[in-house]
Amino acid sequence: MLKTWCKYGALYLMMVPVICYFLVYGYYPLARGLQISFQDYRLIGNRPYIGFDNYGTVWHDPNFWKSLTNTLVIGGGSLVCGFLAPLIIALSLNEVLKSWFKKTAQMILYVPHLLSWVVVGGMWIYLLSPDTGLVNLLLQRTLDIPPVHYLAESGWARVVMILVATWKDMGYNCILFLAGIVAINPSLYEAARLDGATRWQQVRYVTLPQIQSTMKVVLLLNTLGVLRIFDQVFVLRNNSTAPDVDVLMYYTYQKGILDFHVGVAAAASMLVLIFTLLLTLIVRKLTRFDEV
Amino acid sequence: MGIERFERAGWGSRVFDAINLLFLLLLMLTMIIPFLNVISLSLSSGVASMQPDIILLPKDFSFEGYKIIWTSLDIWRPFVNSVTVTVTGTLLHVLLSSLAGYVLVHPYVPGKKLMITFILITMMIPQEAVLIPLYVVNKDLHLINTLSVLVLSGLVSGFSILLMRNFFLSIPYEIAESAKIDGAGEFWVFGAIYMRLATAGLATVTLFEFVRRWNMFTEPLVFINDSMKYTLQLALKSMIVDTSATSSTYMVTTNVKMAGIIIAILPLIAIYPFVQRFFMKGILLGASKE
Repeated sequence: MLKTWCKYGALYLMMVPVICYFLVYGYYPLARGLQISFQDYRLIGNRPYIGFDNYGTVWHDPNFWKSLTNTLVIGGGSLVCGFLAPLIIALSLNEVLKSWFKKTAQMILYVPHLLSWVVVGGMWIYLLSPDTGLVNLLLQRTLDIPPVHYLAESGWARVVMILVATWKDMGYNCILFLAGIVAINPSLYEAARLDGATRWQQVRYVTLPQIQSTMKVVLLLNTLGVLRIFDQVFVLRNNSTAPDVDVLMYYTYQKGILDFHVGVAAAASMLVLIFTLLLTLIVRKLTRFDEV
Repeated sequence: MGIERFERAGWGSRVFDAINLLFLLLLMLTMIIPFLNVISLSLSSGVASMQPDIILLPKDFSFEGYKIIWTSLDIWRPFVNSVTVTVTGTLLHVLLSSLAGYVLVHPYVPGKKLMITFILITMMIPQEAVLIPLYVVNKDLHLINTLSVLVLSGLVSGFSILLMRNFFLSIPYEIAESAKIDGAGEFWVFGAIYMRLATAGLATVTLFEFVRRWNMFTEPLVFINDSMKYTLQLALKSMIVDTSATSSTYMVTTNVKMAGIIIAILPLIAIYPFVQRFFMKGILLGASKE
């Protein structure tokens, strides 16, 4: 024992700050969250345990279910669009022969992913504004479409959320798809060409089946993000669209930080945690991720 | 895939290429035009920026927006806060992740499996789900409304540790062994050999963390409500989005708001062309580790 310490002591010492950090900011909050979710949490005074009351409150709150629906609609929409758009772009980029064009395009498409939601949201709030926004001005002057307040109309709010999210992240996922395509053995294309495959057929019968595992990775990574949507909604929401866009994370924020019902918010967080685990399990099963 | 793939490109193939190129160009325009619009608005005069007009070049060119946001709206304070938090946090993050990554490089350390499991589990806890308890923990530690809380959040991550470990693994372990035979301690081997040879890894992790911290929004929103401690993102949010709340004294014109957006983008865009390849590498390494 002592000998181990002498030999590996320095290494353990190096690990100490990391372990302490994870204990205080990783594991402890999880346990604490579980505890608070069963408590009537107050700032001062005692905090009696009240069993499943907080969970009951959340469960019977129609706003919670509305938030869940919004999360699934916006998250699901972003998941589908955020999967298809980069896939199409990657396939399209792959058909370009000029490598400088390919690189420039990739570089430009990735930029929005680098920026915060406040910046991206702020930009789109202006681009979509009804009187001075570029989108409405262009539509009005070219196609004579009357201005629409996209961010204030409940019919548009979710669509805008999904489209802006796709716009922001497509460059990122595109890189993953392109990496998958580059890794395909060139002799497969050669064989397909000898068999007389057209360019479309090469994409259909060689490229797509060959990047299936990349697709699964991208899908799984994006699924994990579905329930996490927050910054985006926080920046782009407003009172008129709130019922259509307020997501689960916003619900917890509102309950815990704005209304200070910490116990209820903790219970909602625990439910989010369970949903996340379930969702991950389902996607893993569906894509048979472990077999890749 | 080289040119030979299309050596007998016929007429149909050329039409396909043209349409494909057009599609990509249009797509790039949807990225470029919004930025052009924002830059031009920020460089226009207040009056011009408020008029409904398609502005892709500065109209009535002036630096008015930048002047107002920097002097009258005191954006420098959130800016300095953001820089402080981002730089300190990133340096500590890289150091701690490297240390842990270095420990896990050793082929035999008693308890290594346990340490790896310990780290992997933290990666499965969604940060969002512990936001409320984190608030309570920070409150108990009296860290609410301090900049330290922002440095502490995400001080180290399993993702970065594994990324650093992978970069370290490409350094032959024999180098470390021979240095130790010559009497070097672990800290010396770590600092003088591993940290110097893993520049690409350090650059990748530094960049990712820098971008993450610079853009951090949820944490400051929840943990900070003293406007003196606001970060740039928070200040920007209250300026751009909650217009009704801040315009009590005077109206914030569009060019000022856009100048704010440019200030928040500038550090990222300035480094981006030089470090692009590290991003690509990091993204791919990150995805393959999940």
